[in-house]
Amino acid sequence: MSKLRTTAAWRISILTALAYAVGTAITFSIVYFSVANSIQERSDAWLSGEAAVLARVSTETPRDRLYSRAVREVAELAASELPKERNAAGQNLNAVFFLEQDPTDGQGPLWVGPSSNNVFLKAIGQAHPVSGAPQSIKVEGWRTSFRVVAQHEGERTIYLGLSGRGAAHTLQTLALRFLVAWGVTALLGFFISYKSAERTLQRVEQITETVARIGSEELGERLPEPNNLDEISRLAKTFNHMLDRIQTSVKQLRSVTDSVAHELKTPVTSIRGTLESALLEEPDDAWRNSVGEAIEGLDKLTHLLNTVLDLAEAEAGALSLDRRVVDLSDVVKQVVEIYQPAMAERQHELVIDLADHVVVVADVLLLNRVVNNLLENELAHLPAGCRIHIRLRSQQDSAELVVEDNGPGFPPDIIARAFERFVKGKYSPGHGLGLAFVDAVVQAHGGTIRISDLPNGGAMIILSLPVHGLEVPHEASEPIKSLKQVRNFAQTVSALPEEPR
Amino acid sequence: MRLLIVEDDIAIQDFLQRALVEAGYQVDVASNAKTGELKALGGIHDAFIIDLGLPDMDGLDLIACLRAQASSAPVLILSARRSVDERVKGLEQGGDDYLTKPFALIELLARLRNLLRRSSSSQNESIRLQAADLQLDLVRHEARRGDHLLQLTKQEFALLEYLCRNAGRVVTRTMILDHVWHMRIDPATNVVDVHIYRLRSKVDQDAAKPLIHTIRGVGYVLKHV
Repeated sequence: MSKLRTTAAWRISILTALAYAVGTAITFSIVYFSVANSIQERSDAWLSGEAAVLARVSTETPRDRLYSRAVREVAELAASELPKERNAAGQNLNAVFFLEQDPTDGQGPLWVGPSSNNVFLKAIGQAHPVSGAPQSIKVEGWRTSFRVVAQHEGERTIYLGLSGRGAAHTLQTLALRFLVAWGVTALLGFFISYKSAERTLQRVEQITETVARIGSEELGERLPEPNNLDEISRLAKTFNHMLDRIQTSVKQLRSVTDSVAHELKTPVTSIRGTLESALLEEPDDAWRNSVGEAIEGLDKLTHLLNTVLDLAEAEAGALSLDRRVVDLSDVVKQVVEIYQPAMAERQHELVIDLADHVVVVADVLLLNRVVNNLLENELAHLPAGCRIHIRLRSQQDSAELVVEDNGPGFPPDIIARAFERFVKGKYSPGHGLGLAFVDAVVQAHGGTIRISDLPNGGAMIILSLPVHGLEVPHEASEPIKSLKQVRNFAQTVSALPEEPR
Repeated sequence: MRLLIVEDDIAIQDFLQRALVEAGYQVDVASNAKTGELKALGGIHDAFIIDLGLPDMDGLDLIACLRAQASSAPVLILSARRSVDERVKGLEQGGDDYLTKPFALIELLARLRNLLRRSSSSQNESIRLQAADLQLDLVRHEARRGDHLLQLTKQEFALLEYLCRNAGRVVTRTMILDHVWHMRIDPATNVVDVHIYRLRSKVDQDAAKPLIHTIRGVGYVLKHV
């Protein structure tokens, strides 16, 4: 659920549903109030009309014994004109009363209506309705108020009242239906917009995944371009154009580094070969030493050349990664094993603290070189007798390798630029390419690297590689094993004393 | 054993030919893929050494041509590229091998020997190695110099075993890293040398005649002088 809440589809659909809800609520309220208004207008018109009729009847009818009967009949007739609004129990919801008060004739008020008239008389007495204008009057014992119209004819006053019970019931039913419809609309709105947003955004997600994969591995791959011209298809097209350009420049860079490598290495190869043949044939020790020195110089040159070319490719994102499932702790263990005696020679104390099975999908040869460069860095820059702490941890979605020492730390003027090419400390023996290469390889794998000086002296390098994309099948790691087996076999057979003839 | 070198650089061709003849091989050379293919047609070669950057054809295509003509002789690929192509790695798994330029002659010879043996016959593994008065028991992981039992770590034993298997032949630092630790890395610092110094201090300390020798500029050799 919390993951769902971070998606754009969720946010979009919440907003849409909210807009739906507010819109329909406003529409419904407008309809509701105009219906309520027109019901009241209609009942007021009826009241005024009937009150006028009753007033005329009362004026024209002689005051004899039949007077009250005649008026009562007219009033009942008027009440029966109203549509019979009944509730579920069949009870008529329209309650009408008629009241005639005449203080001069000495008789009590003439009352046609429900139950006893006391409460009504009391309510009317308090309200003092103005003649001709309908007015709402609350009557004790009745939930809904009565609309009452008064008609003064000389001393006499005629009151006609209509209970709002029917109208209230109608409005209540209406409101209830509105509420249900409103809820359904809002939910439906949310659901539809969520589904459509999700569908659209899934295409964006697909693009993201594909581009991430293309970025780190196969530059030849392209996003599918649907025929329609919506924004997302345009996004895919734009990405493909961009990938075309990147692929071209990577190709160019590779061909440049290839020709540089070829042009520079061919003479070095022949010089080295000639020197080496001479060295192996030459019996004079002093002479051999000089030739050996020359070869070592050539090897250093080759090392530098290789590093520069590799770095150029790595920084341009042109490294071809041969990704396999790799246990990072094995890689670190192996490289540490190689460095252990050299570290001991410098009286360094190596503290190795590796979690088991820290599995990443990475190019194992490049990882070897990354760890190699880190250790080489420590070996080259620390004064004798330091303590180097190497820690490997599995974080939630990354593998973290920390190399920490208690040496002098990074010089302050290079700490911000330590990953740039040829940036190195004043007294550093290297070329300033090691960390730049580490950084480029880690970035090519989608990881990060941070360096810092520790507060109480020493330097810390934190390298973090993502562990996602473990879907690479386990069989993929086989070739490495078999390669090792081939080598082991080669090693075994090379011991046999036979010489080729 | 007859080899064919297909390499366009005359200087490299030259020293390779000399070194290989010196090592006892018969050697044919070709400066481009076309000539190479023609010379290979006879099917008389036991192995090929092919440069990837040929003027008229990609070395890998030449290998494909040779394979198409049912030539099963192993190929040692020479490449100026540092980061090796997946296709080349694929070939390595197929039993062929590659070297990046510049390479040590010694390493080329060692790889060539391995290729030729790999292609000819399987070998039974020995359980005991001996060089002068040094004895290695591969089953019990024990090394003795004369009567003296050497106290070696696991890596030191592996290193000594590798030197011993190549007794009399020079091995380079890269070969050591590759065979003992299965790593193709190229450390600028003296990590391998330190391993050798430590091993030498144990193997040669009390002996009158040292066994492990440094050949400056090339590597190390275990031999009885």
